[in-house]
Amino acid sequence: MDLLDNYKKAWKNQPEEVRKRSTVEIYKLAHSRSSSIVKWIFIIGILEFVILNSLSLFIDIDKTNEEYAKLGLENFIFYSSIMYYTILAYFLIMFYLNYKRISVIENTRVLMKKIITTRKTVKHYVIFNLAVIALIIIIVTITSVKAKFDIVSGVQIIQTFLILLVFLCLTLGVMWLFYQLLYGFLLKKLNKNYKELAKLNDLH
Amino acid sequence: MQKDLENKFLSDFESNQNIVHKICRIYTTDRDGHNDLFQEITIQVWKNYPKFRGDSKFSTWMYRVALNTAISLYRKSTRKVKTQDFSDVAFKIKVTDYDDTEEVQLKALYKAIHQLHDIDKALIFLYLEDKPYKEISETLGISNVNARVKMNRAKEKLKNILNP
Repeated sequence: MDLLDNYKKAWKNQPEEVRKRSTVEIYKLAHSRSSSIVKWIFIIGILEFVILNSLSLFIDIDKTNEEYAKLGLENFIFYSSIMYYTILAYFLIMFYLNYKRISVIENTRVLMKKIITTRKTVKHYVIFNLAVIALIIIIVTITSVKAKFDIVSGVQIIQTFLILLVFLCLTLGVMWLFYQLLYGFLLKKLNKNYKELAKLNDLH
Repeated sequence: MQKDLENKFLSDFESNQNIVHKICRIYTTDRDGHNDLFQEITIQVWKNYPKFRGDSKFSTWMYRVALNTAISLYRKSTRKVKTQDFSDVAFKIKVTDYDDTEEVQLKALYKAIHQLHDIDKALIFLYLEDKPYKEISETLGISNVNARVKMNRAKEKLKNILNP
């Protein structure tokens, strides 16, 4: 007899759980709050939308628009805003659809893949936002330097540009690290398990 | 209508809860973890219960939901509560004419399963529960052949841990 057959017999004869839950207890548990990974990804995603978009509340819109007008950027800002909100709407819809598509009754591999897709959408959204912020900072700085200092030397322009570059790299670097930690922490187990199953499907 | 559904869920879940307890026992190592995972599985089964069509047995369907929750959705709670090791607690009750050797074997088995990783745990669990390969491959989303290959490896790993 195989070694495992003995253990299997022991498994089959194992006593029932000592602390069986009553229907009342099951009712309470079923209506308690979930703390699943999916829920956390959703909450974090919502927080990201809210936080990133409420940053603009701290900016005096009229004054900013005035500044843009002075720099001759109002058209650029107008059209890029339309584009920005279109893409934002796309992300919001995708995010919601991804989340709705996650179902624990799928098979394990599909379920994990969907969770990872949802996470990726959130990640892309964040990268998109950071890129937009970076782009606006670069364009506004370059235009202001051009407009305000007609007689700046080439060296000064390079200096300004370098300072800007370092500042951008630092900000984006810190953000990137933050996300790596946040999602790395949340999805470490899931990624590992998914790789295990994906590796298996490549076998044959 | 909702009340009927709820009552049916409660009676289905109550009578099959042993499956969930076994899954909790293999995926967690202490009482708190066990309770946390049990809670999350209960939530997920109830949340998805309206989608249970009844074209398979409830228990078959529950295996999938419970394993998926353990493998993909559940995160260890970060609560740091001093806990008693679970192998000492779980089997304290002695059933009459229950074989001592089997009790020892069962403890060793759980201890060995704890050392496997999550996917192997699921495979071994389904093997111990006598599930056919068709069901195993459908639950995990891998082909029948892959399920067999992976199962043999998982069994080998388990044997090596049990009998080094």
